[in-house]
Amino acid sequence: MLVFTRRLDEAIVIGEGIEVKVLRIGREGVRLGVTAPPEVPVHRREIYEQIRAANTEAAARAEALAKLASRLAKQKPDDESD
Amino acid sequence: MKTPRRPAALDGEIEFPDGLPGFESHQRFVLVGSPDFDPFTLIKGIGRNAPAFLAIDPRRIDPAFPTKLGSRESLRLGAQAGETLLWLALVAPKPDGTATVNLRAPIVVSPSTLRGLQIVSDEKVYRLDHPLKAA
Repeated sequence: MLVFTRRLDEAIVIGEGIEVKVLRIGREGVRLGVTAPPEVPVHRREIYEQIRAANTEAAARAEALAKLASRLAKQKPDDESD
Repeated sequence: MKTPRRPAALDGEIEFPDGLPGFESHQRFVLVGSPDFDPFTLIKGIGRNAPAFLAIDPRRIDPAFPTKLGSRESLRLGAQAGETLLWLALVAPKPDGTATVNLRAPIVVSPSTLRGLQIVSDEKVYRLDHPLKAA
């Protein structure tokens, strides 16, 4: 792991077009500003991990899901009104 | 907002350039709809050991569900201005036969670019495990 000491308004640059800058240093945490091209996903790790766990729980075999869907669809009549 | 009449399905492969959290190496999916399981959509991965998911338009669960895309996501989808995007929330089956819906991290697909992504935001208005109740 690379370790840097950065002060307020200082930044690190990662590759081409990615910059992480220290915007504020407070008692509760450090506020960072990330500049990155739109094709680079930038996430808070713990939120990504929560979604990863939820996705893992939701994933199943297509056949099993089709069966579940048919059962749920019967429970949940189309409530659409025109 | 009026919900779509038909189960969400698109002809053609959808590319998820980042995969989905937990399944980053699977990037190609198809969306399968069927009158048998309307209003649900099957999101089926292509290839060996690819995952599949069940999904529903989040507006079927909450008609007020906001379907507004951030500018970064919009750029990554390559969506056209004013394009009607597909919104899908993943359904998780529970061992007791019930199911929950992930309204916090919906999937959005651009029908014009056939590209999709899952929204990862720190917005906590909606739950990762919203109960799916019979209407």
